[in-house]
Amino acid sequence: MGFILNPLYNIVSGVMVFFHNVFSPIFGADSGVTWSLSIMGLVVLIRIILIPLFVKQIKSQRALTALQPQMKAIQNKYKDDRQKQSEEMMKLYKEHKTNPLASCFPILAQAPIFFALFTVLNGIAAKTDAGVPAPIARGFLKGEYLESAAQAKFFGAKISESFLGTDLLSVKIVTVILILFMSATTFTTQKQLMTKGMPKMDASNNMMLQQQKIMLYLFPLIFAISGVNFPVGVLIYWSTTNLWTWGQQFYVIKRNPTPGSPAYEELQRKRAHKAKLDGKEIAGERSPEVEAPKVEGQRQQPKKAKKKKK
Amino acid sequence: MKRLADLLIKAYQAFSSTREAKCKYYPSCSNYAAVAIHRYGLKGLLMASWRLLRCNPWSHGGVDYVDYDLDSADALANMKEGVH
Repeated sequence: MGFILNPLYNIVSGVMVFFHNVFSPIFGADSGVTWSLSIMGLVVLIRIILIPLFVKQIKSQRALTALQPQMKAIQNKYKDDRQKQSEEMMKLYKEHKTNPLASCFPILAQAPIFFALFTVLNGIAAKTDAGVPAPIARGFLKGEYLESAAQAKFFGAKISESFLGTDLLSVKIVTVILILFMSATTFTTQKQLMTKGMPKMDASNNMMLQQQKIMLYLFPLIFAISGVNFPVGVLIYWSTTNLWTWGQQFYVIKRNPTPGSPAYEELQRKRAHKAKLDGKEIAGERSPEVEAPKVEGQRQQPKKAKKKKK
Repeated sequence: MKRLADLLIKAYQAFSSTREAKCKYYPSCSNYAAVAIHRYGLKGLLMASWRLLRCNPWSHGGVDYVDYDLDSADALANMKEGVH
């Protein structure tokens, strides 16, 4: 395991130490703000690296309009066989070398980073059996950095402490607030996508809404169960990445919404309105035409979701 | 072990179903992993890992079953006909 994990510890601790050095002159080397920003810096860096993948995926989603007739044909032909329908759809994408679906790898690639950060921060919080703090150095987080990080606080709670690992009220309050924040961002992201970001759906709409309701209760539970075991630093990482996801989606829905979604129609209306004001009514009239065919094709998305049941 | 793997995959699926992004392969990586591990154990775990590596932004995805002869829509349809 070591040969996989050691480079990860080096990356995570290296990035943290780098951002620590960047922010030290501003907030002070031992300041909790500096260390919190180091963790957030790590998130921002990872998410920026992932942006091109995200853009690529969006582009290929938009490119799908050209395949509309074929997709419709497949849907009609295999109305009663969802599996066959999914198979044929995948074949079609592959044939045209476009795939609107994300790949699993980028999402899962974040998991080892998360795990490495967890280990690095847990190392900071390590204690001997007698309860004497004995931080374990991992990667570049050693020597004075290690001692400084071990004392760093986020709103009065040490970033190395966890809800279950302490009796301090301040740590418990901060972890609970962070868990609530994570639940809230996840839920708003989800809700925003459902109400604005997705094409209008037919029968499967109900199922999605149902799912959303379940998630409303399930997510705080998942976050609570895992969150009480995680050091505050990991929760900072998690909260930041959630906030980023929300912001990124907000931007896309506002500026470049999926064709057929309510947000898309709103944008079209705004553009048409603006064009009219500018005296270019042709541009405004053209937009509904572009809109119409796109709406139909995007309706297929909910059907694909059902393959999960298999 | 197989049970644990199954549980982890189920948990992942519940968690990830809230996001818009879905796998570019059919069946999805998690479904593939569940079948592979159930059927082949440790070898299945390796198969699933290999599939995850292939499911990257530069691949084109497509139809990819653990065993095409057993799992594909055509295979299932044939099986049904055989029973009747």
